[in-house]
Amino acid sequence: MAAANGGAGSVLPGVTAIALATAFLIVLLRVENQTAIISLLAFGLAAVAVANWFGWLAPVTRSFAERENALDAFAVVAALVVAAVFHEDHFVLLLVCTVLLYIVATLGLNIQFGYAGVLNFAGASFFGIGAYTAAVLNEHTAIPHLLVLLIGGVMAALIGSLLLLPVLRTRGHYAAVVTIAFALLFKTFLEVNDVLGGPQGLQVRSMKILGWSFNDNFQIGGVKLSFYISYFLVSLIILVLAFVLVRRIERSWVGLNLDALRLDETAACCFGLDIVRWKVTAFLLGNFLIGIAGTLFGMVGGFVQPNNYTFADSLILVSILLLGGIGNPWGVVVATVIVVIVPEKLQAIQEYRFLLYAALVMAVLLFRSEGLLPRPVRRYFPGWRP
Amino acid sequence: MTLEPTRRGASSSVLNVQGLTRRFGGVVALDHLDLELAQGEILGLIGPNGSGKTTFFNVLTGLYTADSGSIRFGGTEITQASPQAIYHAGISRTFQRSRLSLPLSIFDNIMIGNHKRLNQKLWFNLVRRDAFRAEFAASFSQAQALVEVFDPPLAGRMFEPIAGLPMIDRRRIEICRALISEPKLLLLDEPSAGMTHEETAKLMDDILVVRQRLTGLTIIIVEHEMGVIERITDRCIVLNFGRKISEGIFAEIAADRQVQEAYLGLQ
Amino acid sequence: MDFGLFAQHTMNGLMLGMMYALVAVGFTLFFGVLDVIKFSHGDVLTVGAFTALATFVGLKSMGVASTTVELLAMLIAAIGAMAVLGAVIAKAFVLPLRAAPALNTLLITLMLGTVLREAVRLFYPDGANPKPFPRLLPAESVSIGNFNLRLDNTIMLAAGVLVIVGLQLMLNRTKLGLAIRAVAQDEETAKTMGVNFSAIVLITFAIGSALAAFAGLMNGLYYNEINFGIGLYLGVVGFSAAIIGGLGSIYGAILGGFMFAALQTIGAVALPFASAYKDVFAFAVVIVLMAWRPTGLIPEKLSERV
Repeated sequence: MAAANGGAGSVLPGVTAIALATAFLIVLLRVENQTAIISLLAFGLAAVAVANWFGWLAPVTRSFAERENALDAFAVVAALVVAAVFHEDHFVLLLVCTVLLYIVATLGLNIQFGYAGVLNFAGASFFGIGAYTAAVLNEHTAIPHLLVLLIGGVMAALIGSLLLLPVLRTRGHYAAVVTIAFALLFKTFLEVNDVLGGPQGLQVRSMKILGWSFNDNFQIGGVKLSFYISYFLVSLIILVLAFVLVRRIERSWVGLNLDALRLDETAACCFGLDIVRWKVTAFLLGNFLIGIAGTLFGMVGGFVQPNNYTFADSLILVSILLLGGIGNPWGVVVATVIVVIVPEKLQAIQEYRFLLYAALVMAVLLFRSEGLLPRPVRRYFPGWRP
Repeated sequence: MTLEPTRRGASSSVLNVQGLTRRFGGVVALDHLDLELAQGEILGLIGPNGSGKTTFFNVLTGLYTADSGSIRFGGTEITQASPQAIYHAGISRTFQRSRLSLPLSIFDNIMIGNHKRLNQKLWFNLVRRDAFRAEFAASFSQAQALVEVFDPPLAGRMFEPIAGLPMIDRRRIEICRALISEPKLLLLDEPSAGMTHEETAKLMDDILVVRQRLTGLTIIIVEHEMGVIERITDRCIVLNFGRKISEGIFAEIAADRQVQEAYLGLQ
Repeated sequence: MDFGLFAQHTMNGLMLGMMYALVAVGFTLFFGVLDVIKFSHGDVLTVGAFTALATFVGLKSMGVASTTVELLAMLIAAIGAMAVLGAVIAKAFVLPLRAAPALNTLLITLMLGTVLREAVRLFYPDGANPKPFPRLLPAESVSIGNFNLRLDNTIMLAAGVLVIVGLQLMLNRTKLGLAIRAVAQDEETAKTMGVNFSAIVLITFAIGSALAAFAGLMNGLYYNEINFGIGLYLGVVGFSAAIIGGLGSIYGAILGGFMFAALQTIGAVALPFASAYKDVFAFAVVIVLMAWRPTGLIPEKLSERV
């Protein structure tokens, strides 16, 4: 009722923050000179530190807490602006697609790990299941590609359900080993399996929707557009859907149930919570999202091979989640942008990225275990007042 | 065994426990416990540390399974039931060590206790947001009204995390979590732990206020502070080494030699 | 199956089992004193194996030709360096997180494992590729029927047995062992009895890591090749072995290690297509074992206070 006046936070600080971040990102993506990139990154860090020092981040946080729906819409606009700026640039658009799909995958991991506390160190494997599904189905069947996306997600959830029994029966460290073993098994299996192309992997046919082939560049009103624009749009739509889904999960009794079982299983079952039902729901739903992201990623990249879905890649997904702030979808967005884009731009660290992120996560765990953007207390409806 | 008349006037039997036994290895934590509880009664469960009080709560709420004996609640057998089923049947509890979810808000913690009255369907939660909003708003009013009984200022801080609250407020929220679903039987496990005398007295008064509103609420309270037991219980049972050694109103058990020995023997 | 083949498989299984057991014992030791799982344990093994290899290369370039000297130097370098590394890990990353949720310890050691693994891959010369490991033990063999009993394997097995027996004696007969067992039994009581808790934890981590270094060296000598991923594999398998045997029990860990090797060897023999799928099979076994006995054959006492 009172949302529009008085105590409600203004949308302005949030809009400003997103606009500045987008501008920074565009410049970063544009610059090629390595020294310039390093200076830019240092400047970005300093800017955030200064803003934090002067207390400018607090209004932004409040703005997001109170007016999130408006800001979510604005963030979509920002993503479209980035794509528009780079409408001809294959490389940047591919990078942006990668960011979007990694966000989707990590949102899936967030449901499992961030909310339900179900460990999954095989995220990249479920991502890979999606990608291989795309390779096989696009090659051998005439299933419409949008449906393939869905099937990829279902496949990841189905194969993941093989792990349900051990995951449900084990706790903490033990459950971790189950998924680690699966990650190693998956990659080894792909390598020794001839049907799926062995170590060389498989080509993935490009996406076609209603006869529209995604691998053709096209023009609108005389402006040439990269073919990746089509993939970008589909990725963005999937991300928006995934984001809304995760938000609704969190801001409902479902999210409360998942939190309750993560924080204290014993107390939760004394208040009627069906532990198995909610763990299964979280695990399957998470893998479904990861699978969909992987399926589309397979089509975007055009080929799949075992080396892209290793245990180290799974740890990258976990790193993103820890770095961003477990349980906070906005943290996932920010952390994915950093984790995916920085090593692509800074060639010097490209090779060292696994090492760097692992070290970074160790620092986070030691010094700031809540991550860059700590998850705020649940507000079921942003700006709602009794 | 006949039911003793109680001060507040008992009606029918709510809880009937017979021969309840639970062992941990060689230790008999509960030894053929018999217990009968009338609706509306407040029963004090006392005894030295390790005498089986908390074990009784854990068996009663299904966290531990009984080795033998039976528990009937409102005429239904619940001895082998799951904790979930027991909660749904109308028993809820607090824990000796406060077991709230610290990062979650006051409201969230209370809603965890409201599980059975909330719509848990995925479709409802994720898609029908207007309907969800209505249920959320209604639940919020209920939770707020309940907290108000205990501490009006606290009711204005429903979306603050538990982690920042002092022990007294945490106890209050834990009791609100147990009461929000309007259980028939409330189990309080040492509600005074970590609080001062005054705070405890106030908390007990508040519990009695809520009890007035929830007609027929029956309470079992485990407590070391005899002042609390004397003031609010209708009847007491004393446990020692898992066995019932005395039963009666507080004045009677306080005069019982066996009880004195059990306590003195430990000191 | 004829005797020769059977003996060959048995020997093979024993060697595998010994390596698994050595790794599993480390997990069990850490879990005993701190109730934590150190996921970087396997990668410490990798670093140990590469330390040994680097020592060998260094000695060769200095012109040392005696295999005995080389072997001894490798053994001392690998074991010493890993013992220090183990203690440092405990001091810097495990002990500081004692108050934090157990999950954080899991994550930090997992990430530390990645750092170690990647460091080997990136900073060891040509570390991304498998590296040949020298044959330093006498390669003679005794033929029994159509089975070749190789001397080097026999020496390694015997050395492994000696290490395990030595560890047992240390734990059961010395003051240090008593202190370790006291801490494992009950930290608080041990502290009040005057045991220096942190020191014992560091020493235990040093011992466990030294065992891993030994296993790493053994792995290199047995396969004559090492790569940056061996520790990840041996870590997962060793951990599963420790769980099968019931975490916290040394005998259990040893038993678990040999059981796992037996399962794997039997699997490789029984399933004709299995040679290519050897590792797939091993990991599948890990998963199935977890589903079957989530806390091991000898269940860990789960006495959660409610």
